[in-house]
Amino acid sequence: MMRLGFVGIVFAALLATLGLRLWTMQVTEASAYEERAERQQVRVVTTPAPRGDIFDVNGVKLAGTRSALAVVVDLALVDEDEVDQLVANLAAFLDTSASEIHDQLSVRNRGAQITVAEELTDAQAVFLLEHREDFPGVTVIPQPIRTYPLGEIAAHVLGYIGRPNDEDLKREDVDGTDFVGKAGVERSYDVQLQGTEGIVQYQVDARRKILSLIGEEPPTAGGSLILTIDSRVQEQLQNSLRDGLAQARRLEMDERRVTLAEMSRRERLSEALSEARLAAAEAARDATDAATSTAEEGVPREREAITVDPGKVLASLYDGLPIDSNGVCIPVERITVPLGGASALSGIEPRSVRLDAITEVDGEFVATVSVSGVVESVRFHTSFASTLQVLHIMEDRIVLLHSDPWCPVRATGVILNPNDGSVIAMSSFPSYDPTVFVGGLSAEQWASLSTIRAFQNFAVQGVYPPASTFKVVPYVLAMEENFYPMDRGTGDKEFGDQTAEKVEAVPLLTDTDEYLCSGEFRFTLSDGSVQTKRDWKWPQGHGPLDLHGALEASCNLYFWDLALRLWEERRDDSGIDKENLLQEYARLFGFGSVTGIDLPFEQAGLVPDRAWFRNEQRNNTGRVRSDDPWVGGDLMDFAVGQGAALATPLQLANGFAAMVNGGTLWKPRVVSHIVNGDGEIIDDNPKRVLSTVDLNPRTVEMLRRSLQQVVNNQERGTGWFAFKDFGANVELVGGKTGTGKVIKTQSGDRFRQVDDAFFVGVAPINAPQWVVVIVLERGGSGGRVAAPVARQVLQYLMNGAEGVTELAPGLDAD
Amino acid sequence: MLKPDLILVLSYLIISAIGLLMIYSATAPGLEAAGRDPAIELRSQAFFVVIGFIAFGAMSAASLVEIKGFVGPMYLVSVVLLILVLSPLGESEGLAQRWLDLGPIQFQPSEFAKIAVILMVASALAASEVPLKWNAVARVIVIAGVPALLIFRQPDLGTTLVFAFVVLVVLFVGGATMRQLGFLFVATVVGTVGIFQLKIIKAYQLTRLTAFIDPDSHSLDQTYSQVQSEIAIGSGGLFGKGLFEGSQTNLQFVPVQSSDFIFTAVGEQFGFVGSIIVIGLFGLMLFRLFMIAVATRSRFAFLVTVGITAMIMFHVFVNIGMTVRIMPITGLPLPFMSAGGTAFVALSASLGLAHSAWMRRDLPVVD
Repeated sequence: MMRLGFVGIVFAALLATLGLRLWTMQVTEASAYEERAERQQVRVVTTPAPRGDIFDVNGVKLAGTRSALAVVVDLALVDEDEVDQLVANLAAFLDTSASEIHDQLSVRNRGAQITVAEELTDAQAVFLLEHREDFPGVTVIPQPIRTYPLGEIAAHVLGYIGRPNDEDLKREDVDGTDFVGKAGVERSYDVQLQGTEGIVQYQVDARRKILSLIGEEPPTAGGSLILTIDSRVQEQLQNSLRDGLAQARRLEMDERRVTLAEMSRRERLSEALSEARLAAAEAARDATDAATSTAEEGVPREREAITVDPGKVLASLYDGLPIDSNGVCIPVERITVPLGGASALSGIEPRSVRLDAITEVDGEFVATVSVSGVVESVRFHTSFASTLQVLHIMEDRIVLLHSDPWCPVRATGVILNPNDGSVIAMSSFPSYDPTVFVGGLSAEQWASLSTIRAFQNFAVQGVYPPASTFKVVPYVLAMEENFYPMDRGTGDKEFGDQTAEKVEAVPLLTDTDEYLCSGEFRFTLSDGSVQTKRDWKWPQGHGPLDLHGALEASCNLYFWDLALRLWEERRDDSGIDKENLLQEYARLFGFGSVTGIDLPFEQAGLVPDRAWFRNEQRNNTGRVRSDDPWVGGDLMDFAVGQGAALATPLQLANGFAAMVNGGTLWKPRVVSHIVNGDGEIIDDNPKRVLSTVDLNPRTVEMLRRSLQQVVNNQERGTGWFAFKDFGANVELVGGKTGTGKVIKTQSGDRFRQVDDAFFVGVAPINAPQWVVVIVLERGGSGGRVAAPVARQVLQYLMNGAEGVTELAPGLDAD
Repeated sequence: MLKPDLILVLSYLIISAIGLLMIYSATAPGLEAAGRDPAIELRSQAFFVVIGFIAFGAMSAASLVEIKGFVGPMYLVSVVLLILVLSPLGESEGLAQRWLDLGPIQFQPSEFAKIAVILMVASALAASEVPLKWNAVARVIVIAGVPALLIFRQPDLGTTLVFAFVVLVVLFVGGATMRQLGFLFVATVVGTVGIFQLKIIKAYQLTRLTAFIDPDSHSLDQTYSQVQSEIAIGSGGLFGKGLFEGSQTNLQFVPVQSSDFIFTAVGEQFGFVGSIIVIGLFGLMLFRLFMIAVATRSRFAFLVTVGITAMIMFHVFVNIGMTVRIMPITGLPLPFMSAGGTAFVALSASLGLAHSAWMRRDLPVVD
């Protein structure tokens, strides 16, 4: 009986164990089990919300959505043993590789519905429906496709959409099957455009079979953006910029022809070859593979070979000119050289590329390149190879980057309403048609467009030294602070030996006192050495002028002198605030910080001062001199928008806007409001004041008058020539030219100066409605190439489409 | 006048009734979805429940003294049937061969072999002196070992373990010395290790035995069942989701729910409270069986009752333990609840034997 009792206790303990375990599961951890049960019993399918449209200020549709038939695979409905056959069938049907389909189906997401093809023809759709049994789990559904009816018009403002990257996927409202905005307002207003996905919840059984509908929430369409952009003005801006860029390239070619006229073609070829050998010798020194170099010793001198790795400059030739079929230079070009069967590189190591020779064939120049010992000819549309860089070496092709550092590369334009910060037009060249992203961009297309940086909006992403257009800042400072240069430069070209401190200088106390712009400015540095700075109009100079004349003629000396006086009177090696008066004025007008426009990737530019300079030196960034401190010369450079100063075209437009509108710095915007499907306003992006500058009305009045004179004063106006055939209302147009000096070195000790061209236009000058900024990167001088583009745009704005006249080069003027 | 043990009979009837209800709730949604009669499984089980009641009544009516005379032939018949199962006459399903096809129904001889072995062992030990001699122990091992090996060959590891457990408990209570029990224990350990070492055990059996420790790391059907079982019971919570409201049950997430995993239907629909009530009913039934063992004066009846108690206990613990993942998957039914005719009838008959012992506890002892 003892033993039976013991057994009874053991049995009771076993039953108690079960009870305890049930307590843990059903009471302590019940909610976790409930959650697991629910998760496997409910299937959530999302339905995409129609993306909102984008309209211009007049209601013209710039981006919309149309419906296309897409092939969607629902893997939950496919038995595991059917998957391989399905992949094979789909690959055959869609004419792609099975591995690609397989990769697409491997994407995990909430809905488990995967789009494998985006645009079916009706016939294809019918085929799929008729052969359902071969395509289990496959459905054909209408799917929205983004359209951009006006193509390239306002492409950079609109941006484009694409599949989300890892960063996008961190957003809660985005999953792998969505499209998200990648640039432009498509990106900055992505959340508003997306709308809300619909959710359908189904009850499913253990076999994932749908049994019933639990709940349904229909999608909410995204809001439509109403831009401040006027597509007609935008089109004019783009046409003028495109023509302006083409003209700048033609002018560049003319210039080269003049310089090269002395040399015969043969001579140029031999020079090119000797340059190539120079580069080859350099590259050979760099080559680490000693064995390869030894092997090449037997190569004849004429065919001196180099071995390079990807990324090395293959050949670097002076005066290289890649040209297009019209004989115009190409700034940068990706060249893919397919390698034929015999030279397929599979398995050959090391992969090397050798430039063997450059020869002339039928007026074209052909580079002969050996790839791992197999000779390939690379034919360029070029008169000479300039810099040729190996980007990639692949099994079936090599990719070379061929670039011309002096060819005008980019054109940017902004038209801003100075009364509320609305952007009326904004453009950047090279451009693209956002429609190319619909249905995916091929790697080749992407590479060639991204090589020329076509996707970047240089109006907000490009930073340039603003050059002479910046002179309006010291101009306003002079007026507001009653601060003018010393008169010591007046008429005295022999001034040189005296230090600035020794000069018995009398400040020009009013802007009516004249200053003689001699063309050359000498000043003494603290170490006693004499420095000379020359105006762009050296040696003749601009002659006698006052502040207004200095701006109209774009006299550097006047502003250098002003900056030097500022430096001498206010320099302060310790307390920094006092000496930064000019920087303060620049910042008041928005330079050095982002404007906050509703577009992504905006750059802040740079207002350099002593603190910045010291910081750069301390961190060894390489952007500033390593030894000397911040000196007066830096401030002088800054006063004329050179040196370290950087601004985006938009900042320039916004700064000018604040000066000519009486002192209000607006926050620029491209979207004015957002409407729903019924046209009701659901969100608003009202005009917003960033800050106000307390400007003397006389300053504004005089500035407007000076800007008007830049365009209208035949004697000295730097924009006059470009605007001489403006037609009606030219007297209501003002502006400022600018030429940014950028020095591009190329090979060894050879270098050439290339210029960024600027023009800022303002009209009507008595009550400004438009500020127009035109930038042509590496285009030449502002007066010659940028002013004519601005002229066309301003003609359109002031006199309508009929008022626009042919584009013609202006005269060189900074 | 022979008086029935009302508590034992009532717990038996209530558990059987709950079993029928659970089988209906677990099978109806699937049958309905397939467009079939939702009550078809219920009716099939109800038929065996009726047979089982009859078997219980018949065994209760029979005297163990009379039955004792048939123990030898009964034992031989079950061994022969077990041999037939392994012969080409046997029916196999999946990896195992456990059934004999008897026209309209399938018959699982191992269920009856359990009774036959309990009776045979009890009969052998009833005649032995206490403490047991080594030869008595040896006889018991041979009696239980022959059918156990045949069942192991089917293979049916669960039922084999039932034999081992029952024999150990009966020997313990029946007066084996600690030394004998120690030897059996060592032999069992050595035998188990041998089975694993010689790979006599099938791979799937090993998986079943080990997978329950960490089911999420296995993607096998076996662990899937156990994970779904756990979810069903856990999500039932304190009071359950209500009869016919169990989503795991209705959506058929638990495989073989009406047989091996019938307890999940209780756990999900009636929660912790319902589960404890069912376990309580089994506890009550086992308590009564202990009382019968205490009350009976015949050593044979005593040992039979202890054997039956141990058998039911083992089934209840291993089956429910499996559904809550503290025991491996063995395929042992939950007594009187799992769908399955032979098991219900056989267990009813064995309960009837114990009941018979209760009703005749005051009769003169004839061992």
